[in-house]
Amino acid sequence: MQGVRKTFGPKVAVEGIDLSIPEGSIYGFIGPNGAGKTTTIRMIMSILFPDRGELSVLGKKSAVESKDRIGYLPEERGIYKKMKVGSFLTHMGRLKGLDRAGLKPRVMEWLERVDLPDVYKKKCEELSKGMQQKVQFVASVLHDPDLIILDEPFSGLDPVNMRLLRSLIDDENKRGKTVIFSTHVMYQAEQNCDHVVMIHQGRKVLDDTLEDIRRRFDPRALHVDPIGGVAQADAVGQIPGVAHVTPVEGSLEVVLDEGIDPQQAMQSLLGAMPMNRVEIKRPTLEDVFIEIVTGGKRGADAAQLRAELLAGNTDDEEGES
Amino acid sequence: MNFSKITRVAGREFASTAMTKGFIIGALVLPAVLAAIMPLVILLTMSAQPPADTGTVYILDRSADVSETLQERLAPDAVEARWKERFDDVKEFAKNAIPMGDDQKDQIDQRIDQASKTIRFPEFRVIPAGTDASIEELKSEMQDQVASGAKGKGDINTILAIIDIDVDSTRKANEEEGYGGFQVFLRPKLNDETVSEIKDGVRWSIRQRRYENAGIDRSQVLEISDVDERASQEITEEGEKKASTGITTFIIPVVSMILLLIASMTGGQYLLTTTIEEKSNRVVEVLLSACSPMELMTGKIIGQMCVGLSLLIVYSWLGIFALFFMERMDLIDWTTIVLIFVFFILAYFMFASLMAAIGSAVNDMREAQSLMTPVIMLMMLPYFFFTPVIRAPNSMLSTITSFIPPISPFIMIMRVASNDPPPVWQTGLVILVNSVAVVIFLWFAAKVFRVGLLMFGKPPNIRTLIKWVRMA
Repeated sequence: MQGVRKTFGPKVAVEGIDLSIPEGSIYGFIGPNGAGKTTTIRMIMSILFPDRGELSVLGKKSAVESKDRIGYLPEERGIYKKMKVGSFLTHMGRLKGLDRAGLKPRVMEWLERVDLPDVYKKKCEELSKGMQQKVQFVASVLHDPDLIILDEPFSGLDPVNMRLLRSLIDDENKRGKTVIFSTHVMYQAEQNCDHVVMIHQGRKVLDDTLEDIRRRFDPRALHVDPIGGVAQADAVGQIPGVAHVTPVEGSLEVVLDEGIDPQQAMQSLLGAMPMNRVEIKRPTLEDVFIEIVTGGKRGADAAQLRAELLAGNTDDEEGES
Repeated sequence: MNFSKITRVAGREFASTAMTKGFIIGALVLPAVLAAIMPLVILLTMSAQPPADTGTVYILDRSADVSETLQERLAPDAVEARWKERFDDVKEFAKNAIPMGDDQKDQIDQRIDQASKTIRFPEFRVIPAGTDASIEELKSEMQDQVASGAKGKGDINTILAIIDIDVDSTRKANEEEGYGGFQVFLRPKLNDETVSEIKDGVRWSIRQRRYENAGIDRSQVLEISDVDERASQEITEEGEKKASTGITTFIIPVVSMILLLIASMTGGQYLLTTTIEEKSNRVVEVLLSACSPMELMTGKIIGQMCVGLSLLIVYSWLGIFALFFMERMDLIDWTTIVLIFVFFILAYFMFASLMAAIGSAVNDMREAQSLMTPVIMLMMLPYFFFTPVIRAPNSMLSTITSFIPPISPFIMIMRVASNDPPPVWQTGLVILVNSVAVVIFLWFAAKVFRVGLLMFGKPPNIRTLIKWVRMA
């Protein structure tokens, strides 16, 4: 992708995204709802076309020519309610260019892999929502695509099925398939991806491996639990090297001054007062995201954003009008 | 465009619409059942007739001239003879009203004969009350009887009517004035046939007396007024031909038009439903990951075209069968049948384009209604035009409307099926005009379809649709 831009009327959904995804990797698209993840994915799928910019998929000018080599699980996933699971999957497989011969065993095999061995003859509407979702996942990988694009694949799944799906995605990746998936739940990306692309308000704000991100966004912060509890916040703030202190969920988050070595700071903290716990805070993607968006500022902005991210766990429509 | 994907989509579309119990019952079985029970319904209506009236009719004949004739006229034997005669007339009419073969005519004969046995006719006892009887006394006697609740049916003593005949009803009092008349007093709730039997009887008897008094032979008058006309013939290129009766000139064009309308509307309606369903199910994006919007739309339109075509084939075969059993295969014009199919394709594509566009633009059936209203009104236009078009298939109005898509195919089929078909070049030109229109309609639909499918939220109006067309 190069300089890709897409607008819906006056609203700019995606602005100047440059991106290249190497074959065989697992890429996570993260960002809050409405950030432009789905629009970006739809453009990769050639369901939408960019207003500006270049794009190539699997070596072709657009996905139109290589649709049969791509597996796509849209966020707005649907199913023919009245159709039988078997006929639905067969229909999708045939649409994706599979031959009738050998299709049924292939469908059966996949249904067994997602732990739904008995649903072939059931109507789609008889399945639970989670089961339907697994059927839809099968529909997207049935034709053995080289590129698998999953838009919010985990939403609505229970932890057991989430793990099952994650291992299936891993398997496909180990077989050399490229996987792109999007999520607004950042920790899912942490668990699955080796590379993360962060999109915010239609712009790419981050594009790196998880390791590099962690290294780069070392927050220079410690979690501190003084024996005296949160009341000790002022005392902790007096300790040299501490920039400021925020109480978070019963403990204190301590941000260090520039150029202070966290190891030394821990020593001086332990020396200053009795502690239950002092540890280096590992940056989560959520922290990284907030860091990027607020430009490193703390306080009300960050808290609000954090709340928004949490609220983002409920599904809402990716507005386009 | 990948042809195998289009066929896949079309196949699913057809199977999910036409291979369902609902469709087979609604579209195919129901009309067959209706056709089968129709005779039964007619039989039931006939047998459900109320029992005939029986009773007394008083004649107060002030002229002392009509009574005798009227008694003869209303005598049971005479009434029965007339009813038989009337059945024969019905038989004759039924045979000539609908075009049919000789076997059919025999069957109808038998049916009517059977029916004539079951139907009862009124039976009267006619009592002349004398020229100087008091009408008031007779009326009060009737009122007492009605008040006492005596039954009107079955009892010969029940007074059904009192006939009051004027003194000058058959002989003018003087040359300046005309004849007098009569008045009938009736018991409430008599059958219509009873009342008309009585009134017609009085009228006939008075007329009969007038003829006789004037010295005119009634049979001669009847002979004079009866002018025989043999069935008119048409001289055509092939020679003499029985002139088409009103019913055949009317029925064949209208049936062709309605057939065309039903077939294209059904396919189009299903297309709308499945498109909305796919959109509201969110299955559409899954489909779009496998095929392009154009492939999807083409597949869907073709799939539903097959639904419409199968309806058309079944119904036209039913029609041909019916004519075959009526031994009137001569009424079938194979050119018309071929043209029905050609016009179906054209009409269907235009209608289906609109349905695909609407279906892709809205979120649910309710939102579709407001956009559907103008389309439905458009499809209703052929109904408004059918009388003027059939009456004058080559009038200015007929010619002009037959060139205006999308109603053009419906008007044209009526003209083609009429007894005065338009010249061949017009048919050709209409097909050409409609083909161009089909391309435009499909182009419009494709644009809206592409944009609309992934649009959720506020339902669009016509202006937004046009914006989408520009956008796509």
